[in-house]
Amino acid sequence: MIAFLLRRLGQSLLLLLIVSVIGFAILHLAPGGPLSQFAAGGDMTQADLDRIAEQLGLNRPLPVQYVEWLWRMLSGDWGVSYRDQQPVLHIIASHLGATLELMLTSTLLAMVIGAWVGILGAIRRYSLFDSLATIGAMIALSIPTFWFGLVIIYVFSVGLGWLPAGNRYTMGDGSFLNQVHHLIGPCIVLALVSTAVWSRYMRSSMLEVVNQDYIRTARAKGVPERQILMRHALRNALLPMITITGLHVPTLLSGALVTETVFTWPGMGRLFLDSISYRDYPVVMGILMFTAVLVLLGSLLADLLYGVADPRISRSGR
Amino acid sequence: MSGVPFTSTAEPALPPAPGFWNSPGLRRFRRHKLAVFGAATIVFLTLACIVGPWLLPYTDTFIDIRNRFAPPFSGPHVLGTDPLGRDILARLLMAGRISLAVGFSAMAIAMAIGIVVGMVAGFYEGALGAALMRFVDAMLCFPSIFLLLAISALISPSVPSIILLIAMTSWMEVARVVEAQIRSLKTREFAQAAVSFGASNRRIMVRELLPNAIAPIVVAATLNVAHAILAESYISFLGFGIQPPTPSWGNMLDSAQSYLTSAPWLAIIPGAAITLAVTSFNFIGDGLRDALDPRMDGQ
Amino acid sequence: MNKPSMKASGLALPALHRREVLALGAGGLLAASGLGARAQSKAPPPPPAKPSGQVVVGLSQEPTAFNPLMPGIEVDETVWMQVFNTMWLAQPDGSLVPDLAAEVPSEANGGISEGGLAWKVKLREGITWHDGTPFTAEDVKYTLELINAPGFKARTRVGHSLVKDIKVTGPLEISWRMEKAYAPYLALLSNTFIVPKHLLEKAADPNTAPFNGAPVGTGPFKWGTRTPGDNIQLVANEKYHGKGPYLEKAVLKYVPDQTALYAQFRTGQVDLIIGTGIPANFYAEAVKLPGRKVVKIPSASLEVLMPNLEHPALSDKAVRKALYASINKQAIIDIVFYGLHIPTESFMPQESWAYDPNLPKQVYDPALAGKILDDAGWKRSGSGVRMKNGVPLEFAVSTTTGAALREQCQQLMQQDWQQVGIKMTINNMPAAVIWGDFYTRSKFQSLLVGTAFRTVIDPDPAHRFGSDAIPAKSGNGANQMQWQNAEADALMKQGQETFDTAKRKEIYQKLQVLVREELPILPIYQYAPVEGYKEGLIGYQPNINARQNTWNMGQWYWAK
Repeated sequence: MIAFLLRRLGQSLLLLLIVSVIGFAILHLAPGGPLSQFAAGGDMTQADLDRIAEQLGLNRPLPVQYVEWLWRMLSGDWGVSYRDQQPVLHIIASHLGATLELMLTSTLLAMVIGAWVGILGAIRRYSLFDSLATIGAMIALSIPTFWFGLVIIYVFSVGLGWLPAGNRYTMGDGSFLNQVHHLIGPCIVLALVSTAVWSRYMRSSMLEVVNQDYIRTARAKGVPERQILMRHALRNALLPMITITGLHVPTLLSGALVTETVFTWPGMGRLFLDSISYRDYPVVMGILMFTAVLVLLGSLLADLLYGVADPRISRSGR
Repeated sequence: MSGVPFTSTAEPALPPAPGFWNSPGLRRFRRHKLAVFGAATIVFLTLACIVGPWLLPYTDTFIDIRNRFAPPFSGPHVLGTDPLGRDILARLLMAGRISLAVGFSAMAIAMAIGIVVGMVAGFYEGALGAALMRFVDAMLCFPSIFLLLAISALISPSVPSIILLIAMTSWMEVARVVEAQIRSLKTREFAQAAVSFGASNRRIMVRELLPNAIAPIVVAATLNVAHAILAESYISFLGFGIQPPTPSWGNMLDSAQSYLTSAPWLAIIPGAAITLAVTSFNFIGDGLRDALDPRMDGQ
Repeated sequence: MNKPSMKASGLALPALHRREVLALGAGGLLAASGLGARAQSKAPPPPPAKPSGQVVVGLSQEPTAFNPLMPGIEVDETVWMQVFNTMWLAQPDGSLVPDLAAEVPSEANGGISEGGLAWKVKLREGITWHDGTPFTAEDVKYTLELINAPGFKARTRVGHSLVKDIKVTGPLEISWRMEKAYAPYLALLSNTFIVPKHLLEKAADPNTAPFNGAPVGTGPFKWGTRTPGDNIQLVANEKYHGKGPYLEKAVLKYVPDQTALYAQFRTGQVDLIIGTGIPANFYAEAVKLPGRKVVKIPSASLEVLMPNLEHPALSDKAVRKALYASINKQAIIDIVFYGLHIPTESFMPQESWAYDPNLPKQVYDPALAGKILDDAGWKRSGSGVRMKNGVPLEFAVSTTTGAALREQCQQLMQQDWQQVGIKMTINNMPAAVIWGDFYTRSKFQSLLVGTAFRTVIDPDPAHRFGSDAIPAKSGNGANQMQWQNAEADALMKQGQETFDTAKRKEIYQKLQVLVREELPILPIYQYAPVEGYKEGLIGYQPNINARQNTWNMGQWYWAK
């Protein structure tokens, strides 16, 4: 177990290094730079722009900049935002809450609904409900998230006036109810895809368990069907499901970015988008590394849980 | 999200099908009503996009200012007009050409990269294979939207560059699938036999192993088209899409948000077209998976 | 997406009246609106005795730079102008009113002497920083020196680099010398916020001082709290030296999308929208909103087609004339921008004292355009695109991606030009790309850009039009179209060295005639953005000479 963990840790660090090289290269090779935003107004001269580029160290060769960035990163210094003059970790931390709130609630929603639909689908296999659920899940996976967001806003905010069209809360009203009210729209939009994924996996996971010998034995012994499902099948089907959540992290992060954009939600996704368009290199790199760590943690967790749930899974890994 | 169609390929790897055109598979595909529906829709959409623009009285770029913001089903413009008075149906069909072309081309490139990387990594394993697969893992550490956004800044937004961009960010899953297939296939008897006959590595890979891995590849390819069409719409929505006046389903949506209250059809029509096309490809992919999976025979 | 500061700074003279008439003629939509000033004409209730209430200001860009001497975009100035003060401040009528200074120096009062080489400023008494420390001439000296300090990331050193021999001659008296006479410096100082010496001096590096994240100034509002990505809260400075503040709290709320921002204005989540404003397509709807005042405000920004004069086709003056004659300005303004903006012929805003109203009017005349091109030897080829000496009449127009209305504008131009035999392609790019080397090193073919051609509120355009100001050639300036014209150079030099307004006006009118004839830029319209506020908010007053209309927020209050 320890050896497995150590090897995974080593692999993860190597991956993070590769991620940082790819990310750094893509960002810095892209045309434009953090000073572009100042050039359009016409009141800063080229001499001003060049001087600031020099002062920020943007003129140095890329490998030098990378090594310096990496070195500081290793010593725990994530750098300072070009746009905000604040430490990168501080900026990420201040946007993280909003994103986590959105991701956790929507995951919870997706788990509950997805599991329920999946289980029901497995029990009543090939029923009308099962077919509709299957079709629904496929459509949910095919809708562009941002478009679904627009439709939700159009129907529930513009049309019916039930939900606010964006924001995390009303200015000056920080009450819990107000926040929940604002959370509903983005939460539904972000949960759509996860719900579909969950219901599909839950269904096949349940089907696999139901056909296994010990369930057949239990059934033969006359254990009530309901008890079989709840006590035996569900428990065994749920465990692998948890791993899905781990592997789902990158998708969820992408979805959060789009959802935050549509609902003007002040989270990490918005921050990333703003930072990309301002070419705020330290912040973009910070977010990329942060999400890479999240993704790796997610998959590590998935592996570990999978191992716990089913000792037959070998840890030979790849 | 755009990465999602792939979550389905991540389901347990399929054992190789004995051959693609075996009739039980085809029968299973035909039995899969949704897949047939999907295939029919795609055929219909493709035909409409190819033939349709010739049958319409308006071109996609004809600006008719007096008739701007005409709602659908209210006049000569069947699906209404956009902020410049251009016919939405004409634009939708021309956009379909672009979006479907982007979808298929991006898929073809992504498949080519993914198959080559996966095959090489799976066949040689060792240091080369490990290096390639670590690279794949690293690319997958970026949430796909993040990668799309970062790279889209590198290139000017033309149709070919958007295709490349999408392909560059969607070959990794294919590589994984192919690598796993090849790695398991090459230990099988027929592959070992080919080795003992002294066949070249390239021949073994291309002639022996690849055809036997074709089933999951075909499934992945179908889902990849769905992914590419979605990705194009995301890139447009975030402001990096194909440039006007060339329409695509994605860039027809990119200014729709500001007209959501006054002209909702601007958002609803292209969005519905995207959803329809993507859903159809996903249905086909699902059907193919069932059709190509021999385990389904007994059910 | 980020559209780098499009609206620029101010200018002078109360031309509001004529402008309104013009606007009516152009758009015919103005009737329902009114300038903020009008709202106050019927005797408003008196301001509260003690600061009370709060205002939520909606912004579509996020203020992130809080040290007013460091690089920032326009929206950052919404914070600067609350927390800090300048020595003098430009009013809506273009006059300068002393703020931290006791009076505005001039040749008449002896503040400026030796033909503009010697400057002397007296400062106002009794001003304190938010932390209680008295404000003195040392702060002004420190500010001017910091801007020129080698390691400091100063936003711009234009003008400031000419300042030498700064001397504090008394606690509230300061003098300096200029390397050369430079009239626009008065205007530049109206946008130079004074920072506290006692706080920044303590920092090891002023670039990373804690001050930059929690600024301390002399302004009507004190720095409160900030939730990055969401809002900034400012609180009343009860010891403020000027009028107000009357509000207890001001919230600057960031809503990253203009449509979403408008939606929040409509539902009342934000009390007013300033800056990028209400999108043109919502204007007609917005003026009908109950309980809201929606106003077209004067802006000094111009939308121009900026050709790269080194482009083989665009370098030909005849081509530029033909292009200009075949832009259907009125259609663009009426259709794409709902009649909001004002067609213009000058690089100068129409409210400026130096503006020349007698420039020849552009008329949409494709036939004339065709004739100009025929005469200049651009003949139609088989493909319909004109050619001359093997050079096709073909170029790209670039602007920022995601600007839907600009894209519509491009497509209208494209169609009009195509009929004349000019092939235009659209090549839009994200803001960070287009305003990078592509713009500053003149790698574009042509740009559709909203920008300004002055020095803060001074009419001097030398850094935009001077042949020594081409960044791609001299590494300095902002003459990205690469215009070179000896006559223009001479006029601009004269203008900088003259302090007499009447004489300067004559010089700049000559320059406007020259620019209109040579067309180094094709002026399309002057912006008339739409801002809005809740009824009952007293004191909001658009100011074309301020970078943001929160310039007088200290004097805002709610009618009870």
